[in-house]
Amino acid sequence: MKNSFGQLIYFGRKLLFFLASVFLLSVAVFYISRLAPGDPLVSYYGDRVEKMSPEERVWAEEKLGLNDPIFVQYIRWLENAFHGDFGISYKYKMDVAEVISARIGNTLILGGIGFLLIFGLALLLGILCAWYEDRMLDRIICGIGTVTSCIPEFWLSLVLILIFAVNLKWLPSSGAYAIGEADRLGSRILHLILPMTVVVMGHLWYYAYMIRNKILEEVRADYVLLAKAKGLKKQSVMLRHCLRNVIPSYLSIMAISVPHILGGTYIVETVFSYPGIGTLSYESARYKDYNLVMLLCILSGIVVIFCNMAAQIINEKISPRMKSDAVTVPAEVTKV
Amino acid sequence: MAELLEIKNLSISFYTRAGEVQAVRDVSFSLKQGEVLAIVGESGCGKSAMCKGIMKLLPADGKIKSGSIFVNGADITGYRERDMYKLRGKLFSMVFQDPMTALNPSMSIGTQIAEAVKVHQPGITKKELHGRVIELMQLVGIDRADERMKQYPYQFSGGMRQRSVLAIALAGNPRILFADEPATALDVTIKAQILDLLREVQKKLGTAMIFVTHDLGAVARIADRVAVMYAGKIVEIGTAEEIFYNPRHPYTWGLMRALPGFCEGQETLYNIPGMPPTLIHSPKGDAFACRNEYALSIDYEEEPPMFRITDTHYAATWLLDERAPKVIAPVGRREDE
Amino acid sequence: MSKEILLDVQHLSHIFPLTKKTALKAVDDVSFEIRRGEIFGLVGESGCGKSTIARCIMNIYKPQSGRIIYKGIDVCDAKEFAKNKRMLQTTRQMIFQDSDSSLNQRMKVCDIIAEPMKIQHMTPRRGSLRAEAEFQMYYVGLDAEYLDKYPGELSGGQRQRVAIARALAMEPELLVADEPIASLDVSIQAQIVNLFKHLQKEHGFSFLFIAHDLAMVAFLCDRVGVMYRGKLVEIAPTKELFADPRHPYTKALLSAIPIPDPRKERARKLIEFRDEDFLCDGELIQEAPEHFVLGRRKKG
Repeated sequence: MKNSFGQLIYFGRKLLFFLASVFLLSVAVFYISRLAPGDPLVSYYGDRVEKMSPEERVWAEEKLGLNDPIFVQYIRWLENAFHGDFGISYKYKMDVAEVISARIGNTLILGGIGFLLIFGLALLLGILCAWYEDRMLDRIICGIGTVTSCIPEFWLSLVLILIFAVNLKWLPSSGAYAIGEADRLGSRILHLILPMTVVVMGHLWYYAYMIRNKILEEVRADYVLLAKAKGLKKQSVMLRHCLRNVIPSYLSIMAISVPHILGGTYIVETVFSYPGIGTLSYESARYKDYNLVMLLCILSGIVVIFCNMAAQIINEKISPRMKSDAVTVPAEVTKV
Repeated sequence: MAELLEIKNLSISFYTRAGEVQAVRDVSFSLKQGEVLAIVGESGCGKSAMCKGIMKLLPADGKIKSGSIFVNGADITGYRERDMYKLRGKLFSMVFQDPMTALNPSMSIGTQIAEAVKVHQPGITKKELHGRVIELMQLVGIDRADERMKQYPYQFSGGMRQRSVLAIALAGNPRILFADEPATALDVTIKAQILDLLREVQKKLGTAMIFVTHDLGAVARIADRVAVMYAGKIVEIGTAEEIFYNPRHPYTWGLMRALPGFCEGQETLYNIPGMPPTLIHSPKGDAFACRNEYALSIDYEEEPPMFRITDTHYAATWLLDERAPKVIAPVGRREDE
Repeated sequence: MSKEILLDVQHLSHIFPLTKKTALKAVDDVSFEIRRGEIFGLVGESGCGKSTIARCIMNIYKPQSGRIIYKGIDVCDAKEFAKNKRMLQTTRQMIFQDSDSSLNQRMKVCDIIAEPMKIQHMTPRRGSLRAEAEFQMYYVGLDAEYLDKYPGELSGGQRQRVAIARALAMEPELLVADEPIASLDVSIQAQIVNLFKHLQKEHGFSFLFIAHDLAMVAFLCDRVGVMYRGKLVEIAPTKELFADPRHPYTKALLSAIPIPDPRKERARKLIEFRDEDFLCDGELIQEAPEHFVLGRRKKG
């Protein structure tokens, strides 16, 4: 009973922290996006803006609510947001939530599958490298990793497009599906291959290398010697003992890495004109589509904050068991 | 009694960036069933490397250079990893110096002991396994085994962890137990308890033990025979009585004289001058010569062979050569004589 | 040895909070004094609070309660500490157990020894800081060739000598050594203990020697305090303590000293100390002129 109450307080605090962070983020994004140079009317009226008279401009700004002080604008935005209304997109003339929901699926497919691939492959490569420490396979994988992780994502994307789309014509260079084939799985998969490769290549090595070193750190520990001395085979020692001790910290690091990988997806989407959140963010920021920028930033922010908190919770929940140097001889543990 | 373990001319080297480190140089000894052999020496003298070498648990840069290891008459020197893991735990097992790091911090004590049992009895039922774990924990003196098997290493004190490590080591009923400084990291009062436990368990199960330490007090308590190692070589070997009451090698004398008990009422403690050599270049002559106040000129030229004193007592010092001057040992006479 | 008291620890307590509701009483109402030119030994099992006391004395931890009077100054009082900062920092020096981590790996031996002098802007008496460092090295038995080496290139015994040289460079009046020989080899331990004894005689500093090896304490110290679970259970001159231990824990501790003689060692009986016998609320009672034992004062 008392315990569950404590849990409630624990998660209540986390939630409060979460909400406060999101609030601060919204204020910051709201102000900064309006301080940046550029004309939001262009995204609503297009080229017509150039022919507008000053009176017409004032009228247009009033219609979009852009002539009030930023503070007033923010309060109005916040009020509407509480009712679930995040405004309309200037460019698409649609509710921003609708604009985003039409695209978010694509990004989730690219980012989600990419994340799982990175997660699994990194584990596999890390274990392989640790197993063959300092032997040929280890050196080859580490070598490839060092070189590949130094290549910028946009450059790698362009090279891949040049080779597989332009020269070999095996794979499409842009989009999420061929025109009119939105429901065909095959088409979607074909379009995913190149962007996915770039997303995975960009992050895989870093995590694989980390797993390798963490396992090797464990392999050097004394308990591995004891495990071997009691007759366990190498694979049992590696998987049951070393990996077991590496996984918790790996999980928490992977949780932090979600935003990192998400950021990578945004760049890749832009290069491949893949219709996802990334391209949308880029466009909206470029064309001063304020409402769209706001919601996109807040959504990304929520993911980042949430993942960081998840990592923190994983750490807190798992670490006491991992502490081998915790107080062992409680000389005089007293209740204060 | 039959020879359970026989080491012949064993040499082990570590190949480091700085060069070849000859950790063990041409060591021979044997171990009988149920016998406790203590290996005494300073850190870096190769005593740990030798144990790990026999169990083939050396780190990647350590290699057995020459010599052979016989177990029950069978030569296991050439055994590869897949042959060795069948022997480990069953034929020989090991207890380590630091019980704080020898256990996996994220596994309960019971699981770690059970794992060791399962390796040797794969078909064991859950109930039998549980019973065996409890039995092992009781054997090493852990009370309330039922409750404590669910606990994690961080909930155990140093002495209790060392008992758990011992339980793991004994899970496969090993014929030989290597104990690498098992009591060094523990408190004085706990130290004696663990030593007595080792002796008691060893007697009960008839296990032979190789007990590695630098503490002559612990050796006196537990060992049947003693081998003194210096710079990768065994310089003196004999029964405990022979080594303590009639030591013949100047290094053994030095070790004993350095103990505060021998210097009672004196102003300074005796100490062996200088430091043990690094074993990167094998020294010319006797490795101990430059720290040896009794060194003869031949010590700097030629390595002394093992001189026989009795059938069980051998020492590698030129002082035992018949041409050498007579030196009276500064230590080792019995008080009742 | 004079009777003048250099360091007076009065009712020192230190508590480490573990969680919000529990705390570890590392040191519990400990009082003792160290006289000028005396070697005082503090022994006990690991976790009994020996190191915590040393750290409180060196102002590394701030104790929860109690006073530490050094040369008439209460070092736990922030104002008095600030007033006498320079004196306190130079005349008290500490040596740690693990010379591997207590010496900066990226500094040369010469700089390690000279650093405290540099910080305190002391004018080296032997011309340059390097000459001063060389002198100190010679003093602790190291050749000048080691001056330009890094700690990683030295052996454990040599590193501990460097740590001693660094402490002695400040010509301390109080030297605190926390298990300085525990991680060294037997023959090297004897060298370092001899060095301590020799240096103490030359310099005349007071020395707080913390150890768990009773044999070394018996050899080196003038007086010994025995600790158990954060409390001092017995204080006595060394000879008296070893000849006539009064507290059951001290008896257990002494019975555990190994004897390097197989027949005597095997005949030795361990005296067990049960936790129930420990009076955690007792106080030190004088049983002989210099001999104090933890117990309960008789009423009336």
